[in-house]
Amino acid sequence: MIDPATSRRWSLRLLFVGLAIFLMFLRILPLSTLPPRIPGPDLLLCLALAWVLRRPDVVSAPLLVAVFLLEDMLTMRPPGLWTLMVLFGSEFLRDRASAVRRLPFAVDWAMAAAVIFFITIGYRAVLALAMIPRPALWMTAMQTVATMLAYPAVVGATHLVARALPGPPERDGTPRGLGRRLGRRA
Amino acid sequence: MAKDRNADIDFAGPVRRILIAVLAILLVATFLVWRIDSPRVERFRDALVDRVVPNMDWALLPVTKVVGMVESARSYSRIYEQNQQLKRELQQMKAWKEAAVQLEQQNAKLLAQNQVRLDPQLTSVSGVVLADSGSPFRQSVLLNVGARDGIVDGWATMDGLGLVGRISGVGERTARVILLTDSSSRIPVTIQPSGQRAILAGDNTAIPPLDFLEAPEQVRPGDRVVSSGDGGVFPSGILVGEVAKDRDNRLRVRLAAEYDRLDFLRVLRSHPAERITDPGVLIPPEVPPLVAEQSRMLGPQPDGTPGPGPAAGAAAGTGATAGAAPPRARP
Repeated sequence: MIDPATSRRWSLRLLFVGLAIFLMFLRILPLSTLPPRIPGPDLLLCLALAWVLRRPDVVSAPLLVAVFLLEDMLTMRPPGLWTLMVLFGSEFLRDRASAVRRLPFAVDWAMAAAVIFFITIGYRAVLALAMIPRPALWMTAMQTVATMLAYPAVVGATHLVARALPGPPERDGTPRGLGRRLGRRA
Repeated sequence: MAKDRNADIDFAGPVRRILIAVLAILLVATFLVWRIDSPRVERFRDALVDRVVPNMDWALLPVTKVVGMVESARSYSRIYEQNQQLKRELQQMKAWKEAAVQLEQQNAKLLAQNQVRLDPQLTSVSGVVLADSGSPFRQSVLLNVGARDGIVDGWATMDGLGLVGRISGVGERTARVILLTDSSSRIPVTIQPSGQRAILAGDNTAIPPLDFLEAPEQVRPGDRVVSSGDGGVFPSGILVGEVAKDRDNRLRVRLAAEYDRLDFLRVLRSHPAERITDPGVLIPPEVPPLVAEQSRMLGPQPDGTPGPGPAAGAAAGTGATAGAAPPRARP
């Protein structure tokens, strides 16, 4: 008999992978092949950071690395570098996840925004060091801001999806969904 | 239970650190390998994309089509206007068609007079756009034709109207097309009617600028831009677009291809232009048949010394060598 907490963790893990693949799928849809005037938010990054802060046990580092490496490969980025940055950012948040969970959502958002900001800067810095052509600065800046703004929306949406997932509630009394903190907010 | 969990976390701490360090080192190594030996990793990437994306084919195409249908349904509201506009355009087109038919007849006549052979190798393979690059900073699309259809890196790609891009990266079932708007795209073009040569340099905007233009004052907005075929990779004379000026008075190209909706693309089979590597040789006078016959009868010497045929030929500077060569190969 499988431990209900474990099965719950694995179904959430599957849900994360499914959501990530769905987001990548949306992005490679050839709907418009014109260069965008304003780059949209990096929803996959929002998703990863939101889940790391809420369920660090579900989104383990190897899983995150696998998902982002696939994204690196599909979207023609230098393989490994962005994944590395996301790994550092997510580990930073993972160490503080339990503390952040007790604080208001604004702190949560601010920390995620800071991580988004710093990993983007780090990414561009390494690209510059390795003399790889970089996208225009204002484009990256727009995307970073868009990603920061999209973060609360992604948190809300994944919470809804996670709650719809069948499965027993957590053993230690947390409500269904991603976690106690979000439940209170919703 | 809670105590159990805490113990688990404490126990996992150092192990986790090591795991993270190993992952980080692996990722840095991946990046460095890509930086050092990019072609190999890019080939791996092509192979991976080739495995992954066609599996989503069943969903990619219908979703794209449905969204397209919704968008065209939205335009039904303006159907009357569009109808009127189309009728007007049809009138103009009829006039053009008449002109085209006359020109075609004239062209056929002139071609027949000149005995011109059009290049029979300029054929094409058509493919459907499967996916785009997925990143706002890279402009490329994935086609559902690949190495098994004979696609080769560097071939030109166009839609019905104009040049779209260049093949860069071929998998077994897919091929990536770098669009003219990508910031790494550089295409040699000619501007008509002034005949100026320039480079169309993509910069991640919808209207890429013209670079290395010798006399910009000879170029006017509205001039046609066609591929020039310099460098021997691209076929020449494919329509690219027309010149436009942006707000900073910089010359740019409004692309002819329908970039907002790339659907079916044609990959032009181009073959590398033939190079003349031979410096050119003396053209010998024709050998009278009698001399050729004689040298063939002499043939090679049994001890391996060169026969008199070639020696005499070389000394005389005539084409006797050619006559002597076949019998030497015969024994």
